[in-house]
Amino acid sequence: MTERERNWLLVAPAGAWLLVMLVLPLSVVLIFSFGERAPAGGWVPAFTLEQYANLPARLTAFQNTLTLAPLGTLAALIIAYPLAYQLAVRTDPKWKTILLVLVIVPFWTSILIRSYAWIFILGGQGLPALLGVFGFEGVRLIYTPFAVTVGIVYGYLPLMVFPIYVALDRLDKRLLEASSDLGARPLTTFLRVTLPMSISGIATGCMLVFILLMGEFLIPALLGGGKVFFVGNALVDLFLQSRNWAFGSAVAVMLILVMLVTVTIYMRLIARLSATREDVSIM
Amino acid sequence: MRIYSLFVYVFLYTPIAIIALFSFSAGRSASQFEGFSLKWYGRALNNPFVMEALGNSLLVAFVSATLASILGTLAAVGLQGIKGPARSLFDAIIYIAVMIPGIVIGIATLIALVTVFDVVNPWLASVWPEGREPPALSMGMPSLIAAHTMFTLALVVLIVRARLQGLEGALSEASADLYAPPMRTFRLITLPLIAPAILAGFLLSFTFSFDDFIIAFFVAGSETTLPIYIFSSIRRGVTPEVNAIGTMVMLASLVLLVIAQLILRRSDKS
Amino acid sequence: MKDRSYISKRKFMEELRRYEKGSVTRRHFLGVTGLGTATAVMAGAFPGLRPSSALAGSHIGDRVVLATWPNYHDPENFEIFTDQTGAFTQVNVFGSNEEMLAKLQAGGSGWDVYVPTNYTITTYVEEDLIEPLDLSKLPNYDPDAFDPRFADAGIVDGVVYAVPKNWGTTGIASNTSHNGGAAIDSWKDFFDRTMDDFSGRTMVHDYQLTTIGAALNYHGYSFNSVDEAELADAEKLLINVKPHLFAITSDYQPAMRSGDAWLTICWTGDGKQLNTDIPEIAFALGKEGGELWSDYYAIPKGAPHMEAAYALINFMLDPEVNAREVLAHGYPVADSRTNALLPEEILNDPILYPAAERLDALEFGAAATLTDPNRAELLARFKSA
Repeated sequence: MTERERNWLLVAPAGAWLLVMLVLPLSVVLIFSFGERAPAGGWVPAFTLEQYANLPARLTAFQNTLTLAPLGTLAALIIAYPLAYQLAVRTDPKWKTILLVLVIVPFWTSILIRSYAWIFILGGQGLPALLGVFGFEGVRLIYTPFAVTVGIVYGYLPLMVFPIYVALDRLDKRLLEASSDLGARPLTTFLRVTLPMSISGIATGCMLVFILLMGEFLIPALLGGGKVFFVGNALVDLFLQSRNWAFGSAVAVMLILVMLVTVTIYMRLIARLSATREDVSIM
Repeated sequence: MRIYSLFVYVFLYTPIAIIALFSFSAGRSASQFEGFSLKWYGRALNNPFVMEALGNSLLVAFVSATLASILGTLAAVGLQGIKGPARSLFDAIIYIAVMIPGIVIGIATLIALVTVFDVVNPWLASVWPEGREPPALSMGMPSLIAAHTMFTLALVVLIVRARLQGLEGALSEASADLYAPPMRTFRLITLPLIAPAILAGFLLSFTFSFDDFIIAFFVAGSETTLPIYIFSSIRRGVTPEVNAIGTMVMLASLVLLVIAQLILRRSDKS
Repeated sequence: MKDRSYISKRKFMEELRRYEKGSVTRRHFLGVTGLGTATAVMAGAFPGLRPSSALAGSHIGDRVVLATWPNYHDPENFEIFTDQTGAFTQVNVFGSNEEMLAKLQAGGSGWDVYVPTNYTITTYVEEDLIEPLDLSKLPNYDPDAFDPRFADAGIVDGVVYAVPKNWGTTGIASNTSHNGGAAIDSWKDFFDRTMDDFSGRTMVHDYQLTTIGAALNYHGYSFNSVDEAELADAEKLLINVKPHLFAITSDYQPAMRSGDAWLTICWTGDGKQLNTDIPEIAFALGKEGGELWSDYYAIPKGAPHMEAAYALINFMLDPEVNAREVLAHGYPVADSRTNALLPEEILNDPILYPAAERLDALEFGAAATLTDPNRAELLARFKSA
């Protein structure tokens, strides 16, 4: 057996698996997207571009997703960065591991249960009642885009903290000392040394959270009260309510295309921002 | 800064605390505390559907993470020696596998398998010997395991390959020095070096599979995993039983983590 | 060994104490405990249902999966069923008939019993998704006891596919303390007030039939309309109302109870449950019309636990069990045997049994709405707007 054959033999099982469970299903979705809805729901073969022509009917879902996904990612970044910085740079190594683990532990409770807890917290008897005590009457939080954003940030915060922590932890602390020894003010040190060195972590964290948000379904369903509609919710409704597999497939194809385009642009952007390209790639 | 971090931890733990608190409520409502009781823990542990869902979740997570770790590691090692368009194609597929939302994977797998089964089942029935019940393929545990393995396998490839790339130079030198045949090099040198990455891939895969709701929602057929059970309970109006389940799963994960830490420390010392 | 006679001594004492403390009514107490005799007799007649032997448990298996609607059963009945047969009931809750149909169409739902609404049954028959019932396995089903108005939809081309569970109406629940003590009783008010002083306090169902139906009623059209111009009017109304809604959900009880929401489209039993616990919440039918419906027990094709499915349906059709269901969920039944066991005040309750002339204004859902692509698409546009 040549080395070449051996390499192919090693890759073959994984390749076959991906072919059957990824390439085949996606091809079916692509084929279905040119078909038509069966009268009682489901799919009948056809070749029509009607489903794609109908895509504007889900424009708002795409708009909502493309607004709240970047917004949620940004919010998670803003909340996560100082924490990651504190953990990586300012924390006694003795406590680092335990504090980091404490960030991940909530992740082990089902996202469903955690989101349900937010229904209670943001509902009329939770936070709004508390705010009422301080004189802010009639604040409505639950079933709003705000509630969805809180749920998103809460759900995905650890995914943001982790890569940034790793990037900052790798950073040579002597660089920071050198910078301040040379007379740089803390803000300058942060902007000129710390931030550029952690770009790779930021990029990875944002990418992870953004990808997950683009396909989000649960959090808007639970915390949006059926009013905050992501593409994921549109997809679930198309397959589980209107049973329009053809149109649902077209929406899925569109979602994949939008993701490919945004993620590619994003990677290019980050690559230009950062000095070394390999750092940025999630692969 | 410290105070800020404290706030983030409060943010992270308030919902958890509320979940845990209401798991001890004696009443039926998961949002009104009516006296301390452990009865919902007993309910959850004695409910065969909870136990079956938990068993299913553990089985799916274990089998798919194991399969993904083995297949993913083999592929990552094999890919080291493959260049050219084939390599680019494989990379692109891996990239797509990781990037595509779970909801699309779930829906695509469902309609693809349902379509395939619609073709295969009548064919099976026609070739099956007369007088015996022909088998009928349907969605269930195998389809769920296959879908989870697909996604997690891509994760393992990425993680192990990153580790291999870090080792590239050292590895080729070592094997050249040894004049060792490839299999032995792999077993004696590569494998121990990439073991942490494989373990990380396994754990990540397990966690992903155990917590996945959306793929299972579409692909699991009549089987119930723990997240599916919880989703159904939330619809029905949550009783503290769900809180008890969540609290127990979290505690179990914590205990496992502590044990893993202890084992790692011990092996570090020896 | 657990005492599997119908009601154990311990359970009896518990019930007695609950009764003494006043936490259950006398009726409940008698209902739960008195059932022992009835079941013992029945068990003699139908060996398959004999409760105490281990064999009985293995005969129907240890489980049965039920797909049903929210707040639609007395949890205690399932516990009794388990004590009696050894089979646990797994309850899967759904928000719309569309969702049930979608699950069955995709195959492998794993359900043994489900609860389709009248207008969907012909579609299930056409799609070959429903099992014709073997009535010999349902000795508790007595066709003569049921009001045909609420039983006929279960029979398609002379074959019984489904047996009646409950019937009811789709009306309006409002918190009267925000309306000077008066109930909101027209779809006109429902939507107009939502865009005015009830803004942010109203919920509509995540369900095309009732939500679009209510908007059609607002304009004076038929609840079941599939006319394009009429649907366009309904859509316009819904899109205008959307910014004023608290939520689009079929699980509206929690928000009504917590006081976050004041007004909702509401099914009979939810209205009764809310009104019982919180008297300020009133239930009224819309003056312009609305839905009259009946739900049925049915078995999907290929149910994995067929015997348990029949046992569960038969158990639920037992008039005493059924009467307890009614007391728990507040939906009327069409079964005269069950009604005979219900107290006067329930039978005279205007929420459960509205006056006949009010019922005449209502419409049964039409099969066309279930499969009409325009109605499904309209709801999706409304939700994503």
